[in-house]
Amino acid sequence: MKLVFFNDYRLGVLKKEEDRVVDMTLALEEIPRVGPGDYMCRLIERWNGFKVRLERNAIDLPGIPLSEVQLRAPIPKPGKILCMAANYLENGYLTEPRPINGFLKNVSGVIGDGDTIHLPAADATVFHHEAELGLVIGRKARNISEDEAYSYVFGYVNFIDVSARGLGPQGADTFLQGKSYHYFAPMGPYLVTADEVPDPQDVKVQLWVNDELHQDYSTSDMGHSIPKTLAWLSTIVTLNPGDVVALGTNHQGLGALQDGDKVERESPGLGRLTNYVSDPRKREWPRGIDQEMADRVAGRI
Amino acid sequence: MKLVMYNNYQLGLLQDGGVINLSESLSDVNAPTPQDLVNAVIADFEGTFRGRIEEIASKGQPIPLDQVHLRSPLPRPGKILCMAANYLENGALPEPKPINGFLKSPESVIGEGETVVLPTVHEAPVFHHEAELGVVIGKEAVDVSAADWEQYVFGYVNFNDVSARGLHPNSFLWMKSHDTFGPLGPWLVTADEVEDAHNLQVRLWINGQIRQDYNTNDMAYKLPETIEWLSSIVKLEPGDLIATGTNHQGLGPIQNGDIMEMEIDGLGRITVNVKDELNREWHRGVDTDIADWVAGRSSEPPAWARR
Repeated sequence: MKLVFFNDYRLGVLKKEEDRVVDMTLALEEIPRVGPGDYMCRLIERWNGFKVRLERNAIDLPGIPLSEVQLRAPIPKPGKILCMAANYLENGYLTEPRPINGFLKNVSGVIGDGDTIHLPAADATVFHHEAELGLVIGRKARNISEDEAYSYVFGYVNFIDVSARGLGPQGADTFLQGKSYHYFAPMGPYLVTADEVPDPQDVKVQLWVNDELHQDYSTSDMGHSIPKTLAWLSTIVTLNPGDVVALGTNHQGLGALQDGDKVERESPGLGRLTNYVSDPRKREWPRGIDQEMADRVAGRI
Repeated sequence: MKLVMYNNYQLGLLQDGGVINLSESLSDVNAPTPQDLVNAVIADFEGTFRGRIEEIASKGQPIPLDQVHLRSPLPRPGKILCMAANYLENGALPEPKPINGFLKSPESVIGEGETVVLPTVHEAPVFHHEAELGVVIGKEAVDVSAADWEQYVFGYVNFNDVSARGLHPNSFLWMKSHDTFGPLGPWLVTADEVEDAHNLQVRLWINGQIRQDYNTNDMAYKLPETIEWLSSIVKLEPGDLIATGTNHQGLGPIQNGDIMEMEIDGLGRITVNVKDELNREWHRGVDTDIADWVAGRSSEPPAWARR
């Protein structure tokens, strides 16, 4: 099932043909919620009680054309966004995974399809896109084993971990300044339930800037697998329904983001997420792939 | 005003005679979780809830404080933003270090009487307490200017940024974000009851022995600059917590069986326990290595940082 928010954060499900969206507002009336921020998380918590109803409505009701709605981020304010750091083998260049590592990203930085990444005025050396597979937690997880890890997954979503470089003390990269600016968490266009992703460890992750393909890798290159990642995270923090785990990026293909750019992010079955970039300072960086970054992370220089 | 959460996360007002229940009278507020209720009260405090709470209190029957089970007054803040290395170490540092901060997991929060559980699967060479002044955000703040900082502060609370050291890679997530690593309470104190947030004594005791004892006047980036800087990065929202950093003079290891008490002038005293299933033992008392290193009196980092 493909879950969306649209217009004034109405919750909907795409019809099988993926060209129309069925408004589920009435079917979900009884879900307690404060607003768009917690709505999807509360539905995920109660998924077993609503799944059949949503499936049936998606078949029975006509819906409205997708082209006539404005899509919103499917989880506008997750409880947590946990990102994995340096979690790819860089197309096999690294002989073994680096020590497992992660960080928290600002939950108020989420934007959805069609939204704009406004670059902050801060003097970053560069702003990069990091295309990632986002995983959404389905039920509370604490100290879980790798064997049972997938049973805690609700679904998947396209995610971009927008990053500013060089903003920490002494020009270092630190995670708050590097990862958590306003608008730095594009997500969407849909939240796709796990049953529609046959092998999460072999998903093609692609990202284009102004129609030029920048990132194009498979999650088969991941350093610490999804089960290992979830088990590790759950030894630190309790994972809750609607929490997002961004599984890290392959740095081969990162590039600068700058004023006027159009960024598109797609994985098979997860739809295409389109965002725009605005920079009031109109800074300019080399266009195309950042080869120095790619070589450095892969250990070629 | 002093707001508490108690028993099964009822919201209460603390007065001289005890706790007055607010949740029952505020049942019209749309709040699926206890944190949602606190957030709603905070977000419209001066406009609506200060008056409603005063009205409820004028008719309410207080329950003696010793008959309630206090909980964390912010059971699960939307965000916890921590300032890093934000003290001049009793003036030992000639100038502030570059401004820096990190996110801490909102799931780390525990309240009065609860227990900090040291993780057993991560081999941290030591765990430390970090007593800090917690600032509770009152209204949405994006790119606000330093001069306006007070408008965005709802109140203050004791916060303990419990920390694991020396994990590799050296990252904030697993040093700071373990479940139970965020003792917070015993109550929220509204800003009008705190005359000067930059002149408060912060104290922390382990098993009755004083460890940390410093004044917030030693803070490097004070609240105006901190709020301006943080709001230039993330949107601050009602009920979010800023932990303003700690003075490292007086940090010490925490270990199984310890009783940790923390008190800031006017904010009450929070007492929590420490549990370590592995029963690891460290030196008892102040960790002078980290104190000297952070204050620049020694260029030699503590042993755990050299691993």
